[in-house]
Amino acid sequence: MRHARLKTMLFAAALAGSLAAGAMRAQQDVKVNHTSLKVGDMAPDFTLLDNQWKQIHLSDYRGKKNVVLAFYVLAFTEG
Amino acid sequence: MAKLEATDSVVFGISIDSPAANNAFAQKIGVTFPLLSDMNRKVLKEYGILKMYNVQKEEYDWAQRTTFVVDKKGMIQSVEEEASAINPNNAVAVCTKLPKK
Repeated sequence: MRHARLKTMLFAAALAGSLAAGAMRAQQDVKVNHTSLKVGDMAPDFTLLDNQWKQIHLSDYRGKKNVVLAFYVLAFTEG
Repeated sequence: MAKLEATDSVVFGISIDSPAANNAFAQKIGVTFPLLSDMNRKVLKEYGILKMYNVQKEEYDWAQRTTFVVDKKGMIQSVEEEASAINPNNAVAVCTKLPKK
């Protein structure tokens, strides 16, 4: 009898766990979205370190140069 | 690259790698343009191109391969995603059409 109740509780816990995992997965899927930026939008400014540890501000190029931003997946990988 | 420089444009590669890793990568593949580190994924989030990758059942978020062309006013002139972002010719074509001043 006690065994049966334990089994039910374990089952309920497992079910809750898988539901939570499902919800988390759904949330992550939402994050895998395409950029919402479109042609004609202003490019958000940023400050990042380059490979010489120098700060690069996108806004420094305003009025001076066109900027091609090529986002790549990871260094040492194809593409 | 020379074609792009002729259009008064600069190129930045951006990923989540560290400056040290990017420098080694730059030397290995011989790129002449800066590689920028978005280690805290701030810019990726702002540009909305963070993508989940499943590696051996663990999920990691890295950049989705995307190329933006930003003109001198700071306005986006072109957005290319995934496969078409690999070929730089389109970005070159866009830059060539942009006004010189």
